[in-house]
Amino acid sequence: MKKINLKVNGVDYSVEIEEDVRLLDVLRNQLRLTGTKEGCGEGECGACTIIMDGVTVNSCMVMAFQAEGKEIITIEGMATKSGLHPIQRAFLEEGAVQCGFCIPGMVLSAKALLDKNLTPNREEIREAISGNLCRCTGYNKIVDAIDKASKYMGKEGDVNGI
Amino acid sequence: MEYKIVGHNILRVDGLAKVTGKATYPEDLYMEGMLYGKTLRSIKTHAYITVDTKEAEKIDGVIKIFTHKDIPHNYYGVLFKDHEVFCSKKVRRIGDPIAFVVAITEKIAEKAIKAITVEYDEIESVFDPVDAMKEDAPLIHDRSNILYHYKLRRGNIEEAFQQCSVIVENQYKTSMVDHAFLQPEAGLAYMEGDTVVVCAATQYPHFDQLEISEALNIPQEKVKIINPAVGGAFGGREDITLQIHLALATWVIGKPVKTVYSREESFVAHSKRHPMIMNYKTGADANGKLLAMEANIIGDTGAYASWAINIMRKAGVHATGPYEIPNVKVDSYAVYTNNPFAGAMRGFGAAQVPIAHEQQMDMLAEKLKIDPITFRLNNCFKLGSTTATGQVLEESVPLIQCIEAVRHKLNSKANDTEGV
Amino acid sequence: MDVNKTYKGVALQEVLTLLQQHENTSKVIAGGTDLIIQLRECKVTPQVLIDVSSLEEIKGIEIIENRVSIGAATTFTQLVNSPFLNNGLEGLKEAAKSVGSPQIRNIATVGGNICNASPAADIIPPLLVLDSELYISDINKSRTISLEKFLIDKGQVDLKTNELLCHIQFNNIKNNQGLGFSKLGLRKSLAIARISVAVWVEVEENTYKQVRIATGACSKLGVREREVEALLLGKPVEEKTMQLGAEALKTQLEKRLAGRKGMEYKREAIQGVFKEALTKATYLSKT
Repeated sequence: MKKINLKVNGVDYSVEIEEDVRLLDVLRNQLRLTGTKEGCGEGECGACTIIMDGVTVNSCMVMAFQAEGKEIITIEGMATKSGLHPIQRAFLEEGAVQCGFCIPGMVLSAKALLDKNLTPNREEIREAISGNLCRCTGYNKIVDAIDKASKYMGKEGDVNGI
Repeated sequence: MEYKIVGHNILRVDGLAKVTGKATYPEDLYMEGMLYGKTLRSIKTHAYITVDTKEAEKIDGVIKIFTHKDIPHNYYGVLFKDHEVFCSKKVRRIGDPIAFVVAITEKIAEKAIKAITVEYDEIESVFDPVDAMKEDAPLIHDRSNILYHYKLRRGNIEEAFQQCSVIVENQYKTSMVDHAFLQPEAGLAYMEGDTVVVCAATQYPHFDQLEISEALNIPQEKVKIINPAVGGAFGGREDITLQIHLALATWVIGKPVKTVYSREESFVAHSKRHPMIMNYKTGADANGKLLAMEANIIGDTGAYASWAINIMRKAGVHATGPYEIPNVKVDSYAVYTNNPFAGAMRGFGAAQVPIAHEQQMDMLAEKLKIDPITFRLNNCFKLGSTTATGQVLEESVPLIQCIEAVRHKLNSKANDTEGV
Repeated sequence: MDVNKTYKGVALQEVLTLLQQHENTSKVIAGGTDLIIQLRECKVTPQVLIDVSSLEEIKGIEIIENRVSIGAATTFTQLVNSPFLNNGLEGLKEAAKSVGSPQIRNIATVGGNICNASPAADIIPPLLVLDSELYISDINKSRTISLEKFLIDKGQVDLKTNELLCHIQFNNIKNNQGLGFSKLGLRKSLAIARISVAVWVEVEENTYKQVRIATGACSKLGVREREVEALLLGKPVEEKTMQLGAEALKTQLEKRLAGRKGMEYKREAIQGVFKEALTKATYLSKT
């Protein structure tokens, strides 16, 4: 056992962990942030995508002890008190959500993209979500949603939602 | 007339929960004092088995190991009850469930799985459905490997082929496909008074209830199924996977039990799309009118029937494709082998046959030196057409418009180049 | 997984001391994108994990005189975005960009890709044609070894259990030199290379003055194709030379992969992959 310190969605946590667990296991089983999903356990599907120190990673491919001192954003950290994040709103409006299992990872990959590039073209959007599998939509509506989100976010002040 | 829904953009009712990560899939459920279940599965394709759980039971933290001895009625299945909840005498495929370990942690359950010894006395396997149809093929179940034969007869194909000026004859094969829904199987079961509650992502909750009550030999009203958010299914969650295991464990132990499959276990646990071998002979006259078609279609259903009958019937019914053919003979078969079992998957038997009938159409058009689109327009279903099964199409058959729309897109140079 | 003790390294000396202490029971983890899968499948069974992903001393890219030095814990994303790598090295960036997915490139490291020594490792062929040298340390001493010698077999490298790969160095590219890379995978993202080829050339008066070629996924490890290199040396930059190289590579693969499945496919496919890499390298040497 060992203690690690993490900041998740702006909250400081000090967590007692088994040394052989993954960051994904800590987020889900200990912090009960179950919005982060496990689809394959080997970095192929991207359902467990989180943002760690500003970049997306598969939380199934990070050992929990490696995350000591890291700042993490999960899907639970996207919406604010005043409403949905524009990316979430766009996903909802564009019908980009079906079974929903890939969505937390998709939204975070979209956020990582739009935080760096507010006017991506469709090729850049596809590249940004190339590590996230969706089995339902065929991706077009997801690309539409991220495109729409970029326009919402481009309008100053329009960061909150419904 | 103004509609409330049609013609408007409507937000999904579960969309909000899903974009915020709040939607609850079964693996997101946790209960105080819950135990973990893990399945031991066959690693051989066809073998008699002897199972010894004694050493595994001694491991600290193991609560109970369930085998066929613990199940009152050891069978289930959507059409035929040809699955065993836990294999009793023999395994018929890689992945057949043999035992279910319940322990206080997932790690201990995994350790116990490794400590169970299974002796496999291997018997001959058969993987090719054509071989499996032969008289001397090893039997997968205690009856013929041919579990279904669908026949469709219309007109007289012998005479019609004589009148054809072009005939093409070919064999087509499609491969096994997995649904690969993004959420691997997971479930949590617990007792609510004297009722066993199973939360699992399923396509068939009312049938799960029936299967559990039969297997456990308890009344249906003592079984409650809760279907939380389902992470994709596409047909792959129509057959039971972990529902009976969880219900049995909770019913016997009295405590909540949770199971989450890995992606690998998910692949071996659920059904696949039927691979098909399709022998086609199709003929047309000199004007490009289809006159006759003969098809022999063999569907490999693997070790279990699942929906094979409905699927191979559907493949047979749709064998002509959307074309008027006056003389038709179709034979389609569902055959047991020792392969992974096949069942429902998007299209349900109608997705494989177009591989064959559309290539036949292209080849006929080529031989006739007719443009393939025109050839299809000459023969395709329209209002008033009669299908090979004798159905008269009386409403909405917009196939010609559809083909024309495709032609228009193909011809338009200003194509949108973005891929799908 | 047998892991019961973990260390998150913050200084090189500390990590080298830990490696010495746990010499026979430990494994270094950086990005972890290969190792964590191996751990979970019990293919490797260390009791101790030592994390080097936050070790600033072995992260980042530097130009020291005419040498380029890449810290072993540099991620592929950092490599792709590095302002220090000039255009002639496009092939190195391209190889880095072809690794896994954005999530994997954000965490997986150059050193990890080398030490894991997969035959299909994307970054190995370009580093081979750059004649890369590896800087390796243990608590007492440091040594250098060429990447080519470092790779022993599939999954096997010349690295002792108390040693750490710290830096990768190679000569910076000159104006008349270029590095091209081409990869054949089943799809764009998350594709393990079926074939990859890196080509480094120096062109003078429209003639190949120097040529280095390396292939990935065409052997049990990434290899230099010296026989083919020799054939192209001194030849003019033209279609015929390219064809000569492509056919020579085909012959190499026929010999090397004889009796193995996929040979018929690879011997054809490698020609196109090679031509693309050579064309890119040649183009870069002229711009």
